Amino acid sequence: MIPKPAASGQTMIEFKDVHKWYGDYHALRGISATIRAGEFFSLLGPSGCGKTTLLRTIAGFEGISEGVVLIDGKDATDIPPNKRPTNMVFQSYAIFPHLTVAQNVGFGLRKQRLAKADLDARVAEALEMVGLKGYGARAAHALSGGQRQRVALARALILKPKVLLLDEPLSALDKKMREQMQVELIKLQRQVGITFILVTHDQEEALVMSDRIAVMFEGEIAQLSDAETLYRRPNSRRVADFIGTMNFLPAEVISETAGSIEVEAQGFGRIHVDPKQAASEAPGKSASIGFRPETLTILHEGQQATDREVGAVIEEVVYYGDMTYYDVKIDGTQKMVRLSMRNVFGRPVLDRGARTRIAWSPGALVLFR
Amino acid sequence: MKGGWFKLYALAYLVFLYAPIVLLPMFAFNDATVIAFPLNGFTTKWFSEMWVAPGLWPALKNSMIIAISTAVIATALGIFAARASTRYKFPGKAGIMGLIMLPLVLPEIIVAVSLLVVLLGIGVPLSIFTVILGHVLMTTPFTIAILSSAFQSLDRSLEEAAYDLGETPVSAFRLVILPLVMPGIISSLLISFTISLDEFIIAFFLGGTQVTLPVYIFSQFRFPQSVPVIMALGTILVALSILLLSIAEYFRRRGIAKSGGKDTGGFL
Repeated sequence: MIPKPAASGQTMIEFKDVHKWYGDYHALRGISATIRAGEFFSLLGPSGCGKTTLLRTIAGFEGISEGVVLIDGKDATDIPPNKRPTNMVFQSYAIFPHLTVAQNVGFGLRKQRLAKADLDARVAEALEMVGLKGYGARAAHALSGGQRQRVALARALILKPKVLLLDEPLSALDKKMREQMQVELIKLQRQVGITFILVTHDQEEALVMSDRIAVMFEGEIAQLSDAETLYRRPNSRRVADFIGTMNFLPAEVISETAGSIEVEAQGFGRIHVDPKQAASEAPGKSASIGFRPETLTILHEGQQATDREVGAVIEEVVYYGDMTYYDVKIDGTQKMVRLSMRNVFGRPVLDRGARTRIAWSPGALVLFR
Repeated sequence: MKGGWFKLYALAYLVFLYAPIVLLPMFAFNDATVIAFPLNGFTTKWFSEMWVAPGLWPALKNSMIIAISTAVIATALGIFAARASTRYKFPGKAGIMGLIMLPLVLPEIIVAVSLLVVLLGIGVPLSIFTVILGHVLMTTPFTIAILSSAFQSLDRSLEEAAYDLGETPVSAFRLVILPLVMPGIISSLLISFTISLDEFIIAFFLGGTQVTLPVYIFSQFRFPQSVPVIMALGTILVALSILLLSIAEYFRRRGIAKSGGKDTGGFL
């Protein structure tokens, strides 16, 4: 990972118990969170979870029914969008089709009444920043999807906002382009040092790009943490299901002390779990143990487990080139679980029906109860 | 041969549509007062007679005042209605829009008679003004239809983006929305102008002593000797109508090309 410059730690955006009602529909249900100056922050969740609404309350396009949104320490309630130190990249990019690229990018500078030379210099600088040097004279509607997005970025960044809001900016691009833009956006954010707030439904995108992520469900923030914590230690079954793949096996809590929880887990036997690795189970369900596909290792012949091992049968093999997914049944369990193995050179892909041994350690397991 | 029959049908259809209109200039340049074949020789005297025909110029002046006023008022109303219907949600929207569009299918004579009854009932004297009123009622559905499609094709975030970039709602509308719907506005002006210019029934019922061009033309048919003059006038009107519609279509297409959209429908 490329080291990120530490966010200054100052608060840029603060939500204090924010509620939003559309008639009877409770879109935001008591959002309280702070976003730090200079961080790349993501709002992640399925469609209809309120993430875009929350972003639009920062931009000023949505009023809030209750609570306070503070931008750079100031109550933003009565500040209209055109007076806020925020700029937005819209999902549709909202490029003005009747203007040229340069006119689009310079649109926000109109109010500043710059001399033509200064304006041209600022526009050229912004275009260069997003890799569109020399595109100024082109008609905006003749651009490709990726280029439109860059124009939208340049147009928002030219005003040097304190916060850049990105509403699903990559969802309209194809996979290759999306991955390329992810990296470019990270670099751009580091270069300009502006707080970026990204709305996305793509968990991978959020994990790749963000310093911190707020996972939202039904108008509430379910978990707010850095990408690794979110992935390794989801605080609920819902978050675990939404972020990546997680396997679940039935378990039973035996006893609990301050430093450790004793669990009888199917397939793994009696183990001790750190309370930090404990999360809440979906309502109405009994406890279970969860683990990510890559945290367990299928041992090849003669290889010794570093911690513990358990026997298993391979039921299905899905070959992806760099990776192979194995659906296996661990001895003593009924449910299939999915494991992923990197296809290291010299290591054969296993066959269906093969018996194998799996290395595991209690640290990789998350307890849901 | 299936394709042959379709071609024949298409040809017959076009002849049916345009043959009468082709006859118009033919007799306008024919050197005879009787409208009948064979043609008698070429002349432009009907056009010069038209120039000095009594009552024609006042009628043309009335028609122009009515058509221009109608175009401006109906387009202005159309802008409000189109923006409201594409931008806002309000209770009973479908019903209200339906009622606004209804004059499009109502028999014109019913509208004219009921307007006449109402206007006489409340004691409004018949004049150019009452004709404008009737024409606005008739043409507003057309302007709404044209302008709705212009407003509908706009991405709502365009306005928000302008707002976000420092503009006020008013300047955002002026800088972004207006230029993008301008071709629609021009097209709406031209089409409502054309409809009003050749509208007869309402002008006849609500005009009182004020005569418009179509009413004048109708009245002249009582005098056989002025029929060739009417043919000449009709020729000029047809040419003007085609010109206006072509300009309207040109602006509509240019608007689509400018915003990079795809052409779907249109009048020509």
